[in-house]
Amino acid sequence: MTTAEVIFDDVSKFYGEVLGVNRVSLRIPPGITSLVGPNGSGKTTLMNLLTGLILPDRGSISVLGVSPRDPETMMRFTGYATQYDAAPRWATGFEFIATGLLLFGYSRAEAEEKAWKALEWVSMTEAAHRKVAAYSKGMRQRVRLAQAIAHNPQVLVLDEPLNGLDPLVRAETIALFRAWAAEGRHVILSSHVLQEVDVISDQVILIANGMIVAEGEIRGVREEIHDHPSQFVIRCREASRIAALLFNEDHVTEIKLNDDRQGMLVLTKDREQFARALSRIALAGNLIDGVVPADENVDALYEYLIGGGR
Amino acid sequence: MTATISFRARQACTIARVELRRAFFSKRSFWVYLLALFPAAVFIGHGIEAKIDRQRWSAKGFTPAALFDGIKQGETEEAVRSRLGMPVSDQKWEHWRRVLREGSGKGSEPRVWEEKREQRRRLSYFDGRRRADLWFKNGVLHEKNIRPLLNFEEDRQVFAGLFQYFYLRLAIFFGCLGIFMNLFRGDMLDKTLHFWFLAPIRREVLLLGKYLAGLVAAVVIFTGGALLCYAAMLWPHDPGEVQVYWQASGLSHAFWYGAAAALGCVGYGSVFLAAGLLLRNPIVPAATLLLWEAINGFLPAALQKVSVLYYLQSLCPIPAPVDNSARAIFRMLLSPAEPASGFWAVTGLLALTALVLVVAARASRRIEISYSTE
Repeated sequence: MTTAEVIFDDVSKFYGEVLGVNRVSLRIPPGITSLVGPNGSGKTTLMNLLTGLILPDRGSISVLGVSPRDPETMMRFTGYATQYDAAPRWATGFEFIATGLLLFGYSRAEAEEKAWKALEWVSMTEAAHRKVAAYSKGMRQRVRLAQAIAHNPQVLVLDEPLNGLDPLVRAETIALFRAWAAEGRHVILSSHVLQEVDVISDQVILIANGMIVAEGEIRGVREEIHDHPSQFVIRCREASRIAALLFNEDHVTEIKLNDDRQGMLVLTKDREQFARALSRIALAGNLIDGVVPADENVDALYEYLIGGGR
Repeated sequence: MTATISFRARQACTIARVELRRAFFSKRSFWVYLLALFPAAVFIGHGIEAKIDRQRWSAKGFTPAALFDGIKQGETEEAVRSRLGMPVSDQKWEHWRRVLREGSGKGSEPRVWEEKREQRRRLSYFDGRRRADLWFKNGVLHEKNIRPLLNFEEDRQVFAGLFQYFYLRLAIFFGCLGIFMNLFRGDMLDKTLHFWFLAPIRREVLLLGKYLAGLVAAVVIFTGGALLCYAAMLWPHDPGEVQVYWQASGLSHAFWYGAAAALGCVGYGSVFLAAGLLLRNPIVPAATLLLWEAINGFLPAALQKVSVLYYLQSLCPIPAPVDNSARAIFRMLLSPAEPASGFWAVTGLLALTALVLVVAARASRRIEISYSTE
């Protein structure tokens, strides 16, 4: 492995006349990276390209220095929980995972031990010996997740991994992703649940119509968006007075006082000037209880960059 | 870990083991068993019928062979019955036929159709091995047909014809189509092919594993079917006659029929596995290959060798019977081209298979998961 990044270099994929992704260039560092975009935007296409399930028409992909065209090497350190719901008819959950592990060269005993451990991670040991075809949607989702993580991969790719999971398993799964990311691994996932993405992601990739709209840490991406004023929520006792002071600033475009007069929402075109102005007001003896950005989240980024329609 | 050849071979075996279930028990290709067992069913039916006939006729007594051999055409029913005694079967019926009666030749008297009635009778005798059917017309013997109840030579010819015209050309052909095209296409239709693609295996190893699974299933089904059919052909015959044949050439014939069936699976299997990778619709490759194999006899000598059937027919121990009264074009379609020697037939077929598998392996590297287009 020559590099610790997943790299897309000018990658395009077309399905006949239909655009999958167009001229995508990305460098994905270790940590949790979320792909965010509306249905049909190209999230799954990117993941399938990354794992070699489909091949690019143009450009190249490198996963920690290995091409997806070399699955024998790449899939040793890559796991992918797809959205494809089907599983081989013959398989129980346990067989499904253990058989896959045999192909990694593990002995049967090792494969079974790892399969069992993976099923424990996703709380599926009780149903391990039932046919996958008889599982509920959530169980199939969990067993796919177990299969993806069973060989302890360095790069974990997950297409809507939290769909169909109950809250407890969902929390455990998120904790697992975090633990893996903390070990310096890649966890690349897609999700429609933006609040979840917001909570778990180290970086986001916003994609729309097959093109990358923005990528990076959420705050960094937000700072790059100049078309939309930044939003801050201020909690304070004398909201009217502070609002009047702020309104004198040129960069402040809008202020909405809370009904309880204990705070306000401020829209500013310049975050730096806003920070300086707020410092001046506080130093002048005005008590400010707290300031938090109101739109440094995926939801806001989505709204600004992609618009409604998700 | 650097993958070694033995590691890849283990991977291929693991894939083959998993895929065997699909190859043997796929609902999509269950009809393959019917194709494989049909000839055996025909011979078993023939054997049962012969055994029942022998038992039934033996119960009615034997007529010495010399007696019915001495019967001549033109003898009367009474004379025959008085010499041969009670037949094992006696059938009488009236036969009506229209004959044209010429006019008297005196000018205007027209020619007319008139109906003639004939008394027909068939007396059958049995000497324990052969049956004699004596056909009488208006009480006079006009035809004598003596033949063994079971004709070993004839049955071997029938087997040779059935094996080459039905088993090799149709049963194994379509059976392999069903088994091998299903290996990749079935995974695509079931939307489970990504399971294999997400494992650390080369596509060539996946192809080899699937091919091995299909091959084991096809060889068991079709070589088993051929040998079962062969055993069913031998079964009703006189054990002594069978033993003599078995010691002379029977074992060798059985081996080569089995080998031809197995090599048919090897050859057609590779072709249909490749077709399953390259094409979505199985009808197109099946029709093309069937046509190619059918016109093989018309092709130049070099092109004749690019045919699975060419090598398979060369391996068959007995040439398939060809009806000389059939039209020349049919005889050409059915007759094999100048056969190759056993060694070259096997070598040629294996070389052809290897070539097709190399093409399939190259194609396998370009396969993508596109379930939505299936």
